Amino acid sequence: MMHVAKLHLADESGAKAPTRRALAKQQTRVKVLAAARSLFSEQGYEGATIRDIAAAAGMSTGAVFANFADKSDLFREIMVNDMAALAEAMREAGGQGNGVDDALLRMFAAGYAFYQTQLPLARAAFSVGWSPQDGPALRNAAPVQVLRNLIAEQLTRGVERDELVQDVHSVLRAEMLFEAYLSNYPQAIFEGWSVEALQARAREQIGILLAGVRRG
Amino acid sequence: MTSPTDLSRLDETTGGAGITRLPTVVEGPPRMRQTQKEATRNRVIEAARELFDRQGYQGTTIREIAQHAGVSVGSVFTTFASKYDILSQVMQDRLDGLYAELDRVMPYLRGSTLDRLRTMFAIHFAFEVRHKRLFLAYISATYDWTLPSASTPMGRNRRLQDIISECLAKGVSEGDVDARIDPQEIIDLLMGAYVWIYRLAAWHDADAPAMTEVMDRQLGLIATGFAPR
Repeated sequence: MMHVAKLHLADESGAKAPTRRALAKQQTRVKVLAAARSLFSEQGYEGATIRDIAAAAGMSTGAVFANFADKSDLFREIMVNDMAALAEAMREAGGQGNGVDDALLRMFAAGYAFYQTQLPLARAAFSVGWSPQDGPALRNAAPVQVLRNLIAEQLTRGVERDELVQDVHSVLRAEMLFEAYLSNYPQAIFEGWSVEALQARAREQIGILLAGVRRG
Repeated sequence: MTSPTDLSRLDETTGGAGITRLPTVVEGPPRMRQTQKEATRNRVIEAARELFDRQGYQGTTIREIAQHAGVSVGSVFTTFASKYDILSQVMQDRLDGLYAELDRVMPYLRGSTLDRLRTMFAIHFAFEVRHKRLFLAYISATYDWTLPSASTPMGRNRRLQDIISECLAKGVSEGDVDARIDPQEIIDLLMGAYVWIYRLAAWHDADAPAMTEVMDRQLGLIATGFAPR
């Protein structure tokens, strides 16, 4: 599932028609992002170079650097775009849930389904996420925070609906649920687990992590 | 290898001000006379350990390791498949000492399963906290596309998982762990928490007590989850 960045057809003022220059710049970005996505998927984060990405996009490295500070900037943009799309899918999935466990499970499943066809890219993301240089920026990026907030919202909703008791550890619990969600990706990446198998495992984890705050 | 009984000598040395030499006392059965290959292997591991601690994993090349070990690059490659393979061995050797100690200590730990798990991880962090960046490099490298190895990161850490598994089994027999829960689910959550704390510790430069404090909270949460219902 390719999520190409949307073309923004207005410049900063939002009122005038886009200049030819602005459109060209936008097209460069789109091409570079598409090429980067392919190369990161094929060669991993360490393996892909700006030179190769530029060549694959039919651009000079100068053109790439005019739009992106460096490789990590480029990678982060791809992930941010994907996660914005994923957040929408998760929000919708969570809304269809029957109770807090089910809602969380559906959200997790939406994530696993989203990346099922992009596992090499997910693998590159984990590699970056663990690296001291680029990891913090990726993990603290706004869209990742959105995913955490979606989980936290489910917990709050659970309290409002009287499924869960008030939780002094709600921030930690939401964080641990998010980490549990992430922790299942290696099963998909390295062991080829299906979405159903990941879901079954997530169900258990959610059960354990919510056990302390269940009402009744 | 660090002497496993020397846990009290774990000072917080900062990198860059010279290398702290680990005591090279080896416990266990007496070695047979080493073959050339074994000698090379040990020199490479020792050299790599020092360089990784000093310069980090990314910042160290095979050539530097070979040079520091006083062997040729070619002979490094007859023993190790890759730099990652060397890192794996360095980590494994380091952790073997710790796990031997934990195996000895665990049967004597008192209190609830939660208490025992908290103590176990506190010991673990105290032992390992100097090498947290290396540990992170190890995990990060495991996800690297170019590496031949495809086994699950942390899936290798069987020995730690076995220690946790025994601790939980004892909990089941003593009645504070629900027998109906698949222990592997609990182990996975614990491993996830453990690895997360390393990341926090490396990025925020936390010490062992700080890591233990965060782990204690996570353990408390998970323990509520495995208590009999």
